Amino acid sequence: MTDAGRNTLIVIRHTPYGSSLARAALDAAMAMAAFEQAIDILFLGDGVLHLMPDQDGAAIGVNNVSKLLASLPLYDIDSVYVDAASAAKYRLATSDTPIAGQFLDQAQIQQLLSRNDHLLGF
Amino acid sequence: MVLHTLNAPPDSTAFNDCLAAIAPGDALLLLGDGVYCALTATPACDAILRCSAQLYVLDKDARAAGIIGPPDTVTVTDMPGFVALTARYPRQLAWY
Amino acid sequence: MIYSLLVLSSPVSGQGAQTAAAFAQAVLAAGHTIRRVFFFDAGCYAGADLAVFPQDETDRLGPWVELAEQQQVELVLCISSAIRRGQLDATEASRHEKPCASIHPAFTLSGLGELVDATAHSDRLVTFGG
Repeated sequence: MTDAGRNTLIVIRHTPYGSSLARAALDAAMAMAAFEQAIDILFLGDGVLHLMPDQDGAAIGVNNVSKLLASLPLYDIDSVYVDAASAAKYRLATSDTPIAGQFLDQAQIQQLLSRNDHLLGF
Repeated sequence: MVLHTLNAPPDSTAFNDCLAAIAPGDALLLLGDGVYCALTATPACDAILRCSAQLYVLDKDARAAGIIGPPDTVTVTDMPGFVALTARYPRQLAWY
Repeated sequence: MIYSLLVLSSPVSGQGAQTAAAFAQAVLAAGHTIRRVFFFDAGCYAGADLAVFPQDETDRLGPWVELAEQQQVELVLCISSAIRRGQLDATEASRHEKPCASIHPAFTLSGLGELVDATAHSDRLVTFGG
């Protein structure tokens, strides 16, 4: 491996407001990006609920996760992937989401896992 | 080649998400609550037997849960065996 | 090989944290090295020096302390995860005007940069959650 480090995929499977893990995952992603590490983010299963439009974290006294997602490109985090099957289950359309992500089918998700060096499951 | 470690009971979202992500050449290690997926002749066990991964279950967690006699194709492994799996598979993904 | 561990499991819930400590021991016994164990989210409870467990239960803290003191394994608690869970060293306790430190000295508080460093320089990154 080069001194540039390893490619890391952060897999987010938990809902944005029901668990501290979701925020932990995004903090880790932003830290890696800040240190110029190559990262991908995959929203999988219930994690696709991060992409709900019209979120209002203020209603429960927390930061709005969708605003945080919208700022990811500022950290040069462009490789955001979404589990298409779960998005369809929750009726999430690409046009409404706070961040542009690539929707992947099952085979594409398997390929995404295998082309990263480290996989962090949150 | 991915080593999937499953620490969640059958029919959990982690169980379903994990199975969908398994590709040929992967391995699946059941630990913690995941050991219940090795209960022979249950739907969850049938599902993991059908998946394309090499199957393992962590001995201490299986013993704690009372899992006796998992199917032959689920290898009971100890901690050194777990380490050996992580050495063999370049990447590990935790499901819980 | 160079390993790093990411521990998200709380020592008071489930087996993940205890499995992580046993795994770390087995990694070293197999002749590999550990760059760092990074405790994140609920995993930060691993450093709790003030936790009291029943005497007939497994020691949660001891295995980590042994790894740090006998094998020089670096144990890092993510500072943001830790302090919101009452896991403070003397510096943070003073800074936030809290009555005392609460983490065992075998652990250090630091930022996510330590996790980034671990992922950049390790051959294997093993996560323990749930």
